[in-house]
Amino acid sequence: MSRAKLEKLGLTLPLLPTSTVGSFPKPDYLLQARARFARKEITQKELEVLEKRATEFWVQQQEEIGLDVLVDGEQYRGDMVAYFADVMPGFRMGGLVRSYGNRYYHKPIIVGEIRWPGPMTVKWWRFAQGLTSKPIKGMLTGPYTIMDWSFNDYYPDRKSACLALARVIRKEVEALVEAGAKVIQIDEPALSVRPEELPFAIEAMQMVTDGVPAYFITHICYGAFEFIYPRMLRFPVHNFDLEMSNSGLDLIGLFKKHPFNKDLSFGVLDVHSHKIESPALIKERIAKALQVIPKEALWVDPDCGLKTRTVEEAQGKLRSMVAAVKEIRQALDKAPKRKRRRIEVGSVVKKRRKKIRKHKYKKMRRRMRHKKK
Amino acid sequence: MELVLANHSSYPRVGASREQQRLRRAYAQRERGEISADDFNRVQDSVVAEVVEEQAHAGCELLTDGQIRWVDSISHLAGRLDQVEINGLLRYFDTNFYFRQPVIKGRVAGNGPLVVEEFRYARAVSPRPIKPILTGPYTLAVSSIRETPLYRDLPTLVLDLSEVLAQEVRALAGAGAEVIQVEEPAILKHPKDLRLLHKALKPLSQAKGSSQLALYTYFADATPLYESLQELPVDILGLDFTYAPRLPETIARLGSRKTLGLGLIDGRNTRMEAAPQVFPILEKILPRLSGGIAYLNPSCGLEYLPRDKAVAKLRLMKELRDTFLQRGKR
Ligand SMILES: [Zn+2]
Repeated sequence: MSRAKLEKLGLTLPLLPTSTVGSFPKPDYLLQARARFARKEITQKELEVLEKRATEFWVQQQEEIGLDVLVDGEQYRGDMVAYFADVMPGFRMGGLVRSYGNRYYHKPIIVGEIRWPGPMTVKWWRFAQGLTSKPIKGMLTGPYTIMDWSFNDYYPDRKSACLALARVIRKEVEALVEAGAKVIQIDEPALSVRPEELPFAIEAMQMVTDGVPAYFITHICYGAFEFIYPRMLRFPVHNFDLEMSNSGLDLIGLFKKHPFNKDLSFGVLDVHSHKIESPALIKERIAKALQVIPKEALWVDPDCGLKTRTVEEAQGKLRSMVAAVKEIRQALDKAPKRKRRRIEVGSVVKKRRKKIRKHKYKKMRRRMRHKKK
Repeated sequence: MELVLANHSSYPRVGASREQQRLRRAYAQRERGEISADDFNRVQDSVVAEVVEEQAHAGCELLTDGQIRWVDSISHLAGRLDQVEINGLLRYFDTNFYFRQPVIKGRVAGNGPLVVEEFRYARAVSPRPIKPILTGPYTLAVSSIRETPLYRDLPTLVLDLSEVLAQEVRALAGAGAEVIQVEEPAILKHPKDLRLLHKALKPLSQAKGSSQLALYTYFADATPLYESLQELPVDILGLDFTYAPRLPETIARLGSRKTLGLGLIDGRNTRMEAAPQVFPILEKILPRLSGGIAYLNPSCGLEYLPRDKAVAKLRLMKELRDTFLQRGKR
């Protein structure tokens, strides 16, 4: 459905584009370094060297595994709200609040006017995009979720805090687009929490995405979608990335009642399970999705960020996923069609890149030719 | 009109200082098998004593044990019943807190007292009355996975849980609890089940003896149900005003036959309420209440706030109440 939008942006993606939700596990050396940094035993610079090394590792891994739309892996981020609250004027880090069992986190407090501190994610996006010719997604947390996961001492109500955040996230989106990002994912895991607030969550996202030349994805997980579907279809993004396998594929039933009219990134990997799904199981899940979503509108990815898994589990799960998608693509390709169309593998890359990137591009073209043979 | 300062239910179990985080450390040590169950209980005891003292010091008049020993408000009770196993995490209403979901495998049955010992301990270390908390049969039932065909219908489970909780109410009343709080936040999301709740509360009401039975709802707007809630067999109704902009007006119009717990202090946000927000509501509501007493309390358990903010809210509550009453005398 949004294929035209993608092509207008210069992105030609294969059928059933594969991607990931954003975070990858941090290698041991990075976890240790983060702990040492927290104890002030190493400098920010020293930590960053390792964050870059881990980012390079994951970009290379994603290429090797054969994913189509890549992420930087968030090796430099901790919590998805605190990462932004830490750098935005207007926030102060609050005391510890329990999230479950014996787990606690520092919940941010909005104490003044929230302002944009200048680009918060662009440096890392550039770094990651410099490592690959495949598109790297810009990764942001949405205004509604940042509002919902923070205390608010300053704004008169939840809506005004949310809209203030929307103005700031809009600036970050513009900065990412200016840097060259074409696909931007803005996560709103809190979206389904208070159905009565959906209208202003939509208004906020409208402020973020309106008129911006990019393809927008929103990831939502652990949602009670039955309370906000089909109203959530008014959310102004091109693609919803939903957790499907962990929720027993319940959503398919909802989609049968009221058709889903956006692109769907369909979560096929349970990120809470150590078990690596077999390609056969993943194919089954994709087949179910194809009953309710046109193949041109379907993307395939894990349920949520893979940061809770080990490096090996994450790699294994993604390999399985890509293998399953390849088989389904072949089957779809063989299926009789009125008009046979070529499916291109990989993405079209902007010309005029640095030498090193040109070299990589050539390599990729070679690989593509090789595949076509 | 007497305005009694009451805590709601839960209280933050850790604070900013190393000392205030001893329960967090003990929990981890217990999980790794480094300390015994007795060692762990001693830490829990000391934290209960600490938060009781903190509430009293902040001016609270009806205290709780802070539910310090509860993993969460569902599994702490359900996990102690026969035929119940505890499963994975589920979001607790619209909070960022997750509870462990019970799985009901067969007919539920009590297995001895649930929280009576906890109540006795808190009362022994408290200078003021302690209000024990129970999660109600309806909220427990809808938060559970019903695996046994015995409970294919929700009402059967609700009523069985009601029998179990009635025994607990009897035990708490026997132990001397003046007010026993039953929490039913889930009913606000399922108003069609009000008659079922009515039926389920009856055994509790019959077991309460000379105690007062309080029903607390929160995390949604109780205004549409206000009249029906007035019919329930309880003495006190606790209401969350933070979700309910039209509730003050509704109470002013309809009055209340029951003692009310006024949840005017937001237990979910750090912002400190100011007199111009709270006083007009009190002025509107208080003259319409019967019984000569009302409770002023947070809108929900205080565990959703960091410790420093939770205690600040209790202090603020006292300040607001005292100023309000002073003003009335002028
Ligand atoms: Zn997620």
